[in-house]
Amino acid sequence: MKIRKWIRIFHRDIGYIAFGLTVVYAISGIAVNHVDEWNPNYVIEKNKTQINVADLNASLPDSILINSILIQLGEKRKFKSYFRPEKNTLQIYLEGNTIKANLISGEVENEIVSERTGFREVNFLHLNHPKKLWTYIADIYAIALAFLAITGLFMIEGKKGITGRGKWFTVIGILLPLLFLILYF
Amino acid sequence: MYNKIFTGLIIYTIFLLTLYAGDGKQYGDKLTLKTTTNVSDILANPEKFVGKKVLIKGTIVDVCKKRGCWMDISSDKEFEKIKVKVDDGVIVFPLTAKGKTATVEGEVYAITSAVETCSNGDHSGEEHGEECEHEKTKTEKTIYQIKGLGAVIK
Repeated sequence: MKIRKWIRIFHRDIGYIAFGLTVVYAISGIAVNHVDEWNPNYVIEKNKTQINVADLNASLPDSILINSILIQLGEKRKFKSYFRPEKNTLQIYLEGNTIKANLISGEVENEIVSERTGFREVNFLHLNHPKKLWTYIADIYAIALAFLAITGLFMIEGKKGITGRGKWFTVIGILLPLLFLILYF
Repeated sequence: MYNKIFTGLIIYTIFLLTLYAGDGKQYGDKLTLKTTTNVSDILANPEKFVGKKVLIKGTIVDVCKKRGCWMDISSDKEFEKIKVKVDDGVIVFPLTAKGKTATVEGEVYAITSAVETCSNGDHSGEEHGEECEHEKTKTEKTIYQIKGLGAVIK
């Protein structure tokens, strides 16, 4: 039973290391699983308002138009840049928000983007955005998970182990993905 | 003995991680081209650039909200922009990059799709929920995009 002793030791210590990574992958897994229903990385707020366009002639220099719009909106955020997708529309990019102004109707759409702190970081790791060395860490983690799964089967002897009721739970765990493959694949 | 080896391995891995950690401003491959091409030149004569690798520079005017899999880059001429599309998950552009300057290297490609037009000249009206009361004709529309390979955002 010396092998079982080493299985327990490795399962325990690798399990400790895997804890942090498993939490990262678990939280992010739920977050990105619902990407069609919510944005897992950002909170996007949109609101509409109206500005006075009496003094806003589309042919005025862009800098004058931008200044006038920002003063009317009382915007104090840092200016980044701007873009005119068409003659009568002006998009102003500030630190943290985007203002889209219609120079004819005066309708202004303000889009405020903020990061979902915590989620963005775990998603960044889960979806392997860092690439580079993280790719190998994630590979090692995947191998470690497989190791934990296999060694987990042989941790306990007797009727609660793999030869006892454990085998039925293991079979359920294998059948579950197979069932969904039959149904949807 | 086991404890010392195990702890040593963990410390060594963390050390390697710190050593090779990269900066976050570079997306995808490193830029190889030195000379930038004006977006207006590409849009003025796109067929000339199809299949060619180009380096463009401009303001990021829009970014894919959910997956960060594309961004629109402003042209050097008014009212123009070009879409940079990347493979999902391979490169992910942050939504907060809007308004920043991007230098992008990629390959120009064309997408041709069929567009249904009403015989009176309007589009089929589907986007407005209206039905075309005239005969529908199919016309081909080609748009040009850049398949992004690498980018630097500042």
